[in-house]
Amino acid sequence: MILGWLRLAVIWFVILTVAYVIVGIYSRSVRREKLEKRWIAEGLEGDRDAWIEAGMKAYETGLKKKLLWLIYIVPMVAFVVIITVINWS
Amino acid sequence: MWTKIKWGLRILLLLIVGLFLHYTLPQRDVVQIINTYNKLTPIGANWMFYSIEDTGTGAETTATTRDIRFIEAVYPDGTSVMVYRNEDTGWVWPPYFKWDSSTLQAEATNYKSDKAAPQWVAVTHYGWRIPMISIFPNAVKITPVEGPDVRLVPWLNMFIIAFLLFLVFMVRKMWLQFRERMVDPALDRAEQAWDRVDARADAASAEVKGVWGRFMAWLGTWKGKPRK
Repeated sequence: MILGWLRLAVIWFVILTVAYVIVGIYSRSVRREKLEKRWIAEGLEGDRDAWIEAGMKAYETGLKKKLLWLIYIVPMVAFVVIITVINWS
Repeated sequence: MWTKIKWGLRILLLLIVGLFLHYTLPQRDVVQIINTYNKLTPIGANWMFYSIEDTGTGAETTATTRDIRFIEAVYPDGTSVMVYRNEDTGWVWPPYFKWDSSTLQAEATNYKSDKAAPQWVAVTHYGWRIPMISIFPNAVKITPVEGPDVRLVPWLNMFIIAFLLFLVFMVRKMWLQFRERMVDPALDRAEQAWDRVDARADAASAEVKGVWGRFMAWLGTWKGKPRK
């Protein structure tokens, strides 16, 4: 089928988007927990919620969040590698 | 009794996953190719073990009878043999994305040798040979090897299985995080609310058992609090 690649692309786009969203929620939750624990461990004082929100803002623009794009990139790279190895080498 | 059923189901699930991986992951045989040919092959109830119809080689013939390329090979012991089919795979499953059946068949024919001067090759394939239901492993790659005793380490399979275990580990970690941060606090709040209303907390926590029970109870906390 000519549109076979399209079906593959749609299926994987849906699967990977679900994975991206869920891992995103998880990663954010882990970061928030870390911040909460650091607040206690370092005995910080002042506005706790504002401090945590500032930490979360730093996360949103940080490297770790950008690394989540690997969820899309790695399968695409694997796809290209498989095609090349199976059909051309 | 219930634990036995639970363990039975777990073992069954593990067995199914294991068989599925054993069928799908690539394996390599060191063999000597002795013949290659095409054969009109009727496909019936065993369709699941052939390529789906919309692949290149599947579309060349009708759905019920297909002209399939085969590769015959003999193992180093000189007597046990294997017959591989050589079909394109589809776009979706198994994810080999193989479109070069014609080229592979030419390579196989090129490596064909007789017993006097054997040419040993490693045939990468997936699938099973089960004569009773006429299914054959699908060859995906042929590479020459030095001799019949060469030792091939399945690095790729080790990597894939390690990656799958990593995924399972991550899913478990994510569930535990979700439970710790979302489900349990919500249940605590609900429990406190119930405590204030009446002594329904016991009944609520009795329901909250196992993964599913916790999840459903967490969903339940989105509903309105019980009224007086």
